[in-house]
Amino acid sequence: MAFYLALAVMALAVFATRIFGALLMSRVPTGPKVERFLEGLSVSVIAAMVASLLIEADSRIIVATLIATVVMAFTRSMNWAMLTGILTAAIYPLLLDFFASGIG
Amino acid sequence: MRTLWVLALFVLPFGMAYGVAATEAGITPAQAVLMSALVFTAIVQFAAIDFLSAPVAFFSLGLVALALSGRHIVMSVALSKSINELPIGQRLLTLAFLSDANFAEAQVRAKNGWADPGLVLGGGLVLWLAWLIGTALGAYAGNLLGDTEAYGFGAVLLTFFAATLLQMGRQSKGMGLPVLVSMIVGVVTLPLLPTGWNILLAAPIGGVIAVMTDRE
Repeated sequence: MAFYLALAVMALAVFATRIFGALLMSRVPTGPKVERFLEGLSVSVIAAMVASLLIEADSRIIVATLIATVVMAFTRSMNWAMLTGILTAAIYPLLLDFFASGIG
Repeated sequence: MRTLWVLALFVLPFGMAYGVAATEAGITPAQAVLMSALVFTAIVQFAAIDFLSAPVAFFSLGLVALALSGRHIVMSVALSKSINELPIGQRLLTLAFLSDANFAEAQVRAKNGWADPGLVLGGGLVLWLAWLIGTALGAYAGNLLGDTEAYGFGAVLLTFFAATLLQMGRQSKGMGLPVLVSMIVGVVTLPLLPTGWNILLAAPIGGVIAVMTDRE
């Protein structure tokens, strides 16, 4: 029984955070400054998330992300970027072996 | 939308990880699946595992849930332009499935700040289903499926967000400084603030800087 009450508390809390922002904004007058703020807000959320994830990532993930970003810059294709990122992460141990044996 | 299928691929093992962790802590598989269905927020669900051993500290649990999902607030604000055009029922329904990935996907395809709510809802449903199925697999089938980390899925989230950031940077003018400041604030406050609050702080600061650097 306690579980279901806890579940209700959690479900309500996360639903509240999901709707609060939009409901708040429906009472705020819009204009070019507000729109620019929202634009900056959106980019900044993603930017802060990327930075936070990167700072905690191991070299394997960092290298995979770098490669994916470069691929994205050149191909403008999300699918290619993610594919190369995942592949890089998957074969990273092999890449390490390869370069290590080259130097050693 | 194709990208969201790849993300669903990430959410699936992540959901499995939750299913395993929850059942190992004593939550029944059915309860874990119900949790994923109604809460649909990974950080909150993982954090709650600790809280669910009797007696439950409901008030603390509520506060933790609010704090960890605070990021939803800024995403909800960012989407408000298009979301608030909908009748209230559809607004609430669409927002119920708000999550990092479908938010990013809708934003990157947005024209003039108008992000397609249909994409938020549709994408959200795909992610939700993957989360549910993953939880069920992890909860009921547990350790049979081995270590998916080796397949490189850990890179999915970061590669998606990094590539999205690049695309968004291209589409909006003068976002260099907001992005830089937001990243610095986010990283510097990461060890100082409760989980997720660094984003809550960094994003609005980035927004304000964007207004200040607007040359139009």
